[in-house]
Amino acid sequence: MRGAMLIFKKEFLELSKDRRTLFFTFAFPLLLWPLLFGMMAKLGQSDSKQRHGKPSRVYLVDPGKVLEGRLRSEPTKFELVDKPGVEIKQAIKDQKLELSVEVPADASEKIARQETYVIQAMVDESEQSSGFALTRLREAVAAQDKELVSARLQAISASPQLAQPSEITAIKATSDDLQMGKFLGMFLPYMLLMMMYTGSMQPGIYTTAGEKERGTLQSLLSTSLPRNQIILGKLFYVFAMGVIAAVLNLASMGFTITRVVGAAMAAEHGANAAAGLPSISPMILVLSFVLMIPLGLLFANFIVFMGIQAKNTHEAGTAMMPGIFIVVFLGVFSTAPGIEKMLWVPYVPVMNVTLAIRKLFSQQWDPVQYLIALGMTITLAAVMTWISTRVLDREAVIFKQS
Amino acid sequence: MIQLSDIHKTFDVKDKKAKARKRIDAVKGLTFTVKPGEIYGLLGPNGAGKSTTLRMIAGLMKPDRGRLEICGLDALAHPEQGRAMVGYLSTDLNVYNRFTPREHLRIFGEFQGVEASVAERRGLHLLDKLGLSDFTDVKMEGFSSGQKQKVSIARALLHDPRVVIFDEPTTGLDVLTAKTVLDLLRLMRTEGRTVIVSTHVLPMVEEICDRVGIIFEGVLHGDAPPREILAQWKAKSLDEVFFSLAASSQPED
Repeated sequence: MRGAMLIFKKEFLELSKDRRTLFFTFAFPLLLWPLLFGMMAKLGQSDSKQRHGKPSRVYLVDPGKVLEGRLRSEPTKFELVDKPGVEIKQAIKDQKLELSVEVPADASEKIARQETYVIQAMVDESEQSSGFALTRLREAVAAQDKELVSARLQAISASPQLAQPSEITAIKATSDDLQMGKFLGMFLPYMLLMMMYTGSMQPGIYTTAGEKERGTLQSLLSTSLPRNQIILGKLFYVFAMGVIAAVLNLASMGFTITRVVGAAMAAEHGANAAAGLPSISPMILVLSFVLMIPLGLLFANFIVFMGIQAKNTHEAGTAMMPGIFIVVFLGVFSTAPGIEKMLWVPYVPVMNVTLAIRKLFSQQWDPVQYLIALGMTITLAAVMTWISTRVLDREAVIFKQS
Repeated sequence: MIQLSDIHKTFDVKDKKAKARKRIDAVKGLTFTVKPGEIYGLLGPNGAGKSTTLRMIAGLMKPDRGRLEICGLDALAHPEQGRAMVGYLSTDLNVYNRFTPREHLRIFGEFQGVEASVAERRGLHLLDKLGLSDFTDVKMEGFSSGQKQKVSIARALLHDPRVVIFDEPTTGLDVLTAKTVLDLLRLMRTEGRTVIVSTHVLPMVEEICDRVGIIFEGVLHGDAPPREILAQWKAKSLDEVFFSLAASSQPED
């Protein structure tokens, strides 16, 4: 293994000489997520503040004045506006008003006859502010209805509880952590796959097809280092870069979610909201990491295998692109609801890893499935390593150049 | 010492016109010996099989058939040990641009199993000899092809190889540096190393080579000192020998 370690060291030394790659590999993920999430949290916060602090503009048609009084009594929530100059639909689309409400002319009579009257509300559900106005309207109407029902019950000397025979109180069977764990388990494996693959790709191209293109591969092969050691060293380097990319990105995301987003949530909803953020057991993280190691090796093998066979970096990039699509497909597919119930999924490489991680985060750890995923990935990685080390022994591959 | 006996090499290539694969015999039964303290010139036009032969000796390619001994070692059975005894330089071989010459040589010293202090001393000595001592700690990104070739030469000789194979060593070098390389080759001869040089610069061959082998279409024509070759072909220069070989290989109408 001495030769492989020397190659590994050489690759990192080369990397250390390139400031741009260093920045994009190590510093960029640490800056990107806090910046992105921070900006999103800030924007969300200011948008929400604006929505909550501003009354919704409502055009109300209420000949019987059934609802008008109620809406006028809440000036912080509703601002009744005159009929817009354009068609109402267009005015809502143009965000000149949030809601148009039409109360039927016979609403008062219907109330008197104890019949239901229908309020028509025109809303643009694609706009958050319009949806929020509808929620406000529902709350206002519900409050008015409650008062009305209460008055009716009082008139017949009935108990106020006559209209509400029962009530449901939901008791949480699971902790907030599990809820968040399930959510994380859905998208985390996908993120890990993507970050590992894309994190390995660039260094993989540089160290394989790049060496060929720059004419340094033959210098390396003319030394007394065994060829299988050369390929192993490159493999370890590509694998390490993939793991580093995934770990850095996740660490940065984790920090951002708990600190930056947590702070934003606390500012908006109070300190308790931030406490709802996940605290994942270290054992889950360790077991997930153990699964990711052979998977990372598998990816590194695929990348090195493709890269070493390519004539140049362009060809290598093209050859590796389908890998991204496969990873995205498997990753997205593994987030599909009900996928865990399909019996064949634990036997599909890569997908079984994402499924096992998903189950770990959902606290539904299945040791058999976990071991199948681990065993299959290790076997595949070992077979691919065996193939990759033999590829570099083929002269047609070494001397294939553009 | 290098001994090649009945070496054959065939390539499987894609014939785009015929849309089929065809086999090309690049080297056909090559046999020659180069002794320690001798500079052997391997000559021939492009595509004659020179580089393939040199790559086989350097351990980059495996012959299909034949025997190859380097300093008494069966180099085909023990490729790593074989490569450890050879210092190989080719115009195809490049340097790691992100490194300085010192770093480049240090890392190759490690690859060849040379102790760090020895590699450092020997590397600096070689760079000095090649006139690169002022650039030892300069990143090679901005180096000219000649400067890179010098670093490659130092890299090839760093592990003190018994056998030196230089494929087109003076390509891209100015006259003064080319002379330095030739002096280096002469020095290696006096140090008792086995040297094989392949070049298109025929006057250089006549100047420094003890023996010459002309390879044409994978077959060795003549394996003798330059003067004897000229006498055999009744030619005034090696150029003329080349022309005669090319003429004799033209298919008859």
